[in-house]
Amino acid sequence: MAAANARKCTEKTVYRGQTEEEDAEHEHDSDCESTSSSFNSSDYSNDLEPEWLDDIQKNGELFYLELSEGEEEAALAHAANQGVATNHVRFSEKEAEVITEENKKQRCGSWTKGEPPLKRLARILRRKRRPSQRRVGGKDGGKDNSTLSSPPASILKNQPGQRQGVMFQQQQQLKEVCVYVNPKRLGGSSTPLSDSGGLLEALLGVVHRPSWSRGPANSAGVKQEERLTVHGLIPNSPAIKCGQILIGDVLVAVDDVDVASENIERVLSCIPGPTQVKLTLETVAQVDRSNASDTSSVHRMKASPPVSQLVRLLWGEDTAELQMSIRHIPHIVMYLSLKLDSASPQDEEEILYKYPVSEASGQLKGVRGIFLTLCDMLENVTGGRILSSSLLLGKQLVHVGYWKESNNLLVIGLPAARVPLLYLQTVVGDVVRTLKVMYGSLDSAFCKADHAPRLDHFFCLFFQQLIQPSRLRDGSSALTPDVSGTLFVDGLPAVRWLTLPPEIKMEVDTVLSDFESSDFGEMSEDFFGLRRLYVILGSCLFYKSYLIANHLPKDDLLDVCLYCQHYCLLPLTSEQRVGQLVIWREVFPQQRAKGSTAPGYSQPQGRHFLLIVGLKHFMQCVLLEAGGAASPALGSPGPDCVYVDQVKATLLQLEVLEAGIEERLNAPSAPCLSCADWFLPAATARDRLDNLAPSSPVFSKIASAVKGSSAGNRGRSLFGERSRRSSPQRSLSDSGSEGHMDAGSGSGSLMAPGLSPHSTPDSGRKLGGRRNSLGSGGSDGSGISGGLFKIPRMKHPNPFYLGTLRKTLTEKETEEMYNTMKLTSGAENTLFHYVLMETVQGIFIAPTNREVAQLSGSIHPQLIRNFHHCCLSIRAAFQQSLPTRGRRAADRPQGGGWGLGPVKEHGVLFQCKPENWTDQRKPAPTMTYWVIGRMLLEPVPQEFYVCFHDSVAEVPVEMAFRLSFGLAF
Amino acid sequence: MTMLQHGSTQLLCLTASSGVPLFTRGAAKQLPFSVIGSLNGVHMFGGGQGVVLSSCETEGGGKVVWRVFQDSVMLIAVSGGEQGGACSSKEEQVRLQRLLDNVWSCMVLVLGQDELTNVKNVERLKRDLRSCFSLIDQLLEERQEGILGNLTHCADSLLPPNPTLLQEAVDGFAQAADSEFSCLIVHGRIAAATEKWWRLAPQEVVLLSGLLRSLSASGSVSCDYPVFLPQGSPTVAHRLLRFQLLPGADVCVLCGPTPSLHSAESGLVGRFWTPLVETLRDCLAVGERCLPGSVSLRPDVLALLLINRETRRSVSCVRTSTSHPIGDPLLPSKARCWELLKLFYIFSTTRYFNQEEILCVLPEDRAQRSNTEDFVLGFSHQPLQCYLVTEECKSYGIQTPQHQLFLLFPLSVPTFALRTVATKTLSDIVAATGF
Repeated sequence: MAAANARKCTEKTVYRGQTEEEDAEHEHDSDCESTSSSFNSSDYSNDLEPEWLDDIQKNGELFYLELSEGEEEAALAHAANQGVATNHVRFSEKEAEVITEENKKQRCGSWTKGEPPLKRLARILRRKRRPSQRRVGGKDGGKDNSTLSSPPASILKNQPGQRQGVMFQQQQQLKEVCVYVNPKRLGGSSTPLSDSGGLLEALLGVVHRPSWSRGPANSAGVKQEERLTVHGLIPNSPAIKCGQILIGDVLVAVDDVDVASENIERVLSCIPGPTQVKLTLETVAQVDRSNASDTSSVHRMKASPPVSQLVRLLWGEDTAELQMSIRHIPHIVMYLSLKLDSASPQDEEEILYKYPVSEASGQLKGVRGIFLTLCDMLENVTGGRILSSSLLLGKQLVHVGYWKESNNLLVIGLPAARVPLLYLQTVVGDVVRTLKVMYGSLDSAFCKADHAPRLDHFFCLFFQQLIQPSRLRDGSSALTPDVSGTLFVDGLPAVRWLTLPPEIKMEVDTVLSDFESSDFGEMSEDFFGLRRLYVILGSCLFYKSYLIANHLPKDDLLDVCLYCQHYCLLPLTSEQRVGQLVIWREVFPQQRAKGSTAPGYSQPQGRHFLLIVGLKHFMQCVLLEAGGAASPALGSPGPDCVYVDQVKATLLQLEVLEAGIEERLNAPSAPCLSCADWFLPAATARDRLDNLAPSSPVFSKIASAVKGSSAGNRGRSLFGERSRRSSPQRSLSDSGSEGHMDAGSGSGSLMAPGLSPHSTPDSGRKLGGRRNSLGSGGSDGSGISGGLFKIPRMKHPNPFYLGTLRKTLTEKETEEMYNTMKLTSGAENTLFHYVLMETVQGIFIAPTNREVAQLSGSIHPQLIRNFHHCCLSIRAAFQQSLPTRGRRAADRPQGGGWGLGPVKEHGVLFQCKPENWTDQRKPAPTMTYWVIGRMLLEPVPQEFYVCFHDSVAEVPVEMAFRLSFGLAF
Repeated sequence: MTMLQHGSTQLLCLTASSGVPLFTRGAAKQLPFSVIGSLNGVHMFGGGQGVVLSSCETEGGGKVVWRVFQDSVMLIAVSGGEQGGACSSKEEQVRLQRLLDNVWSCMVLVLGQDELTNVKNVERLKRDLRSCFSLIDQLLEERQEGILGNLTHCADSLLPPNPTLLQEAVDGFAQAADSEFSCLIVHGRIAAATEKWWRLAPQEVVLLSGLLRSLSASGSVSCDYPVFLPQGSPTVAHRLLRFQLLPGADVCVLCGPTPSLHSAESGLVGRFWTPLVETLRDCLAVGERCLPGSVSLRPDVLALLLINRETRRSVSCVRTSTSHPIGDPLLPSKARCWELLKLFYIFSTTRYFNQEEILCVLPEDRAQRSNTEDFVLGFSHQPLQCYLVTEECKSYGIQTPQHQLFLLFPLSVPTFALRTVATKTLSDIVAATGF
């Protein structure tokens, strides 16, 4: 065994040497390496089996999810210093800790600046070798006992102080540490298990030397049952990455099982697959944490949270506990048969499927007779199928949604507090569509006995997402639970789109097209002289939950997206770096199932398969067709390595673009946003501004907004003279201009002198006040922000970048073009939030999460929640009028009884006050803002939702036009 | 094919304990008994399992709403949905829930709570209930245009040109009749009333107005009608005396055993009201506009509903098409305007604006209502105004601490102007009438 392992390892090392293009960041073991081969050669090695191979189920389906190691720490560190470039120093990466300072800088640079691909490639090549050697060394560390000589600096620095603590205090404490371990990786590792370290070293990375081999070093050691003192830590191991296991600690328990030297190997060998284990360690009380200032980064990482519930749920663990926590909330899903065989009246025979089993749901199950009777009867009474009922269970109102298919009835009960009746139908419709995509029809989903566990999992996810979304995402504090927001955004028949700079977009599309052409080695038909297995119908690419490229027809895209949404894949890839995600399953795209609509063309009768591969933040979904042009699929084929590897290769290829995409995500949004808090009169807003000021990138935005507001040329009532004077920006930038400002209620162009110290003459003169509210979006990146607060220059042009065109435009035109950047009219930017949905393409755009997070403030998150809640209502108003849109006034019953009719536009004006206003003497300051939804049919069907400050009357159509024109899907 | 015609509503009333049908109203064709039985059965079955079924919705806007009152009477409203399927279910549900509420209060108003809760003889109850039919039918059919009180639970009012004269007359008349409750009804709307009359529960005021309308529609000059007040005195009856002053103008007084109808009619009516005939005529001339001539509405306001949230009174009107070229196909008809106004009111109040009377209904009702109107509570900020642009017209709603105003505009009015017009209209009316 050991020999075999060793051989494998050498193979690997040699192999690494051959494949030059491999991205050094990647270390996804054998399969990754094999994929990289397809870049230039086809020396695909069959010896290296992908890890996911064991997870393929009998029916060919595969759901394999592996987090990249140290993922949690990375996510946390990321959240802690949001938006700062140093984020991208990848502490979490395997190599990062041992990378030299110089190297680190290089990395930083590569992240913050866009580089031509060629250069980047060259650098990758340069960098490539060392880490891989390093890696091998690290893995071998346990064997050659050199570990102790090279643990990461941070731990060593920590060490001496704590040693002293041992001396003086001897105060023992228990601590619990969660680490992520993956026994599957052992296969690739060269560490011989028979060596003294065993699984403890190989799996956890804890070096423990038994006392007989080390002598009397360990005082606590008892011969028979020796305590497991940590004598060393292996670099890049889970133990060292969690940052909380220190040399000198004693491992007491693993997952609450007491361990000692004699049983540790047995306990660890029981860990079946990639999972998180809880280690209990006895440690010495830390003397002084504050003096370890140089290890602040380590500290940040120390708050290692458990792997998020979502991931555990996806791994199929732990559903019972999650389910327990919502058992008092009534919710149920049942699939009931309407055709009862009365000859054999067995108990509960009509229940084909139900979930979950709890008291509250039992009550709903008990009244299933109501659902069956109503479904049966009401169709005859009112002439329409039943859609929903509302029930009171004790004090709780429950909405029940129905879906009838042939002779069976799907019933879903949800608490009204989570899902308003207005939106119940959308939720039920989406679940049904997801099930149909996955299983073909409801009957085939529910009526097979062996589907039950999978359906349980399916609905567990469904209810958890609706009822306690916060719990699933507990790993990330950035996202506050916003039930309405999730409902609204997920309910849109569209996918969130991220506009990319054209050259990146083009590159992405090219790479995808290359992949889709299937014109690579093993897949081309004449390679083996066989028909290819699958035809690639198309694929779509997500980056951090944003769709960045789509080569699928709209309906297929929505099908795929529903699946991803249901399994939370999008938030998963955005919040956590996925080590490896491979999903394979047969799907039944709804549009294709319905048959063709175009006369003279019939869809090929093939079977369809969905392949989803995720690496880091990228995720690609590929729709494959068997039969038709490709060879027909027999039985239930599992994922084909060639296709999986090819997708991975594509993703690796795309990885060079990550920097550019990140930059786009970090860039100030194209239509500039304002934070609601800035619009509250100074008394409160000022403090916040002051607080925010140090975190510079945000501040430049504030600055522009404040300036914009002080420009308030039409004498806005909200910003009285008082608030103007107290603007921190004013005092900071130019106190001399005070008098001018106070008098400056004239036109916006008068602003220029006041700004001059920090604005380039060019932009100051030309665009005056208006320019200010544009943020730093301008391609010349100058203006106020450029001068005072350094913002990374935008390398790629944003969608509004005029390029050379700009030179030919007259000044006036330029000014107009800049105005399109700002969605709202008037001197200041009053836009808070927006969602624009393109119905035809099935995509929508909205400010990115990061943009929203950057705006921070205390009112703003509230405002966004409110916006989403209102959008639920607005969209429901649009929806209810949709079916009648087809029929025109002709067959409209005149004189009453016709509802409000098709709604085109709907707006609501809200007022907000700061919470807990304590000042008794003055009334709380208020701010009013509009939330408006507009349905457009011309020139392309769109739905547009926008939220802006009340100060300027807006015409939503124009705003929508400006937005969609500027972003040019 | 279907048992219920589109757009029609059927009301079923059964005893809650035994499920004996008491009456059915509405819809030309009655639902078969088997269906009535099942509808009642599912609710009873749920009750036994601790699950209270409250409403149901079908494709095309069909709706069923259940409600049990005082554990004794079960009311079920079944609505057949709309032809186009365009009617929002939410609006329909609110309408039906209001309907059940009103029907129950109506039954209490006429028969008293005791007779309804302690049913000794079902056959007799059935017979007695017939006396409510005219009122219930009025609620079901909503025959009279421009009466929104059943929906808003705010008394439909008419603002007379010289309110002080009328107010004095009403006060004096009530005093003379040894009562504190009296009101003057013009065109089915309250033109003046004693202070105590306004202190009645809003729903009672609305129902009494409805009762008076149906009594005056009968054509009699005067009548003496026993009424129970659903909330004020559900078990002790009062006498409602009504006298016609002029066609379209009635005065009423709510009193105890004295005075007799005859003595009041001969002694009091003439004394207090004869001097005011001209004032009453002016009042009648206000007509359906409800607002005195001193208030000039902008010509582009199609319809208006103004609610005073404190006094629970409302004024509503739809512009007659004189100001617009007749037969303008772009403008909705008058009936449609009323319909749209109602729908917009429900739309706004179910989603954004609070309905105050949650505060003044029975606690048990409050629990149920706050449960059904969950959506409003989901907002973290206070909605102040809202508007809606449909294919027929534009609607605008404003809520201030004191008022709610709902307006319809023709499509020709630019959307950005709506707000200005609406706020101007509100301030104009309030300034001119002190409403």
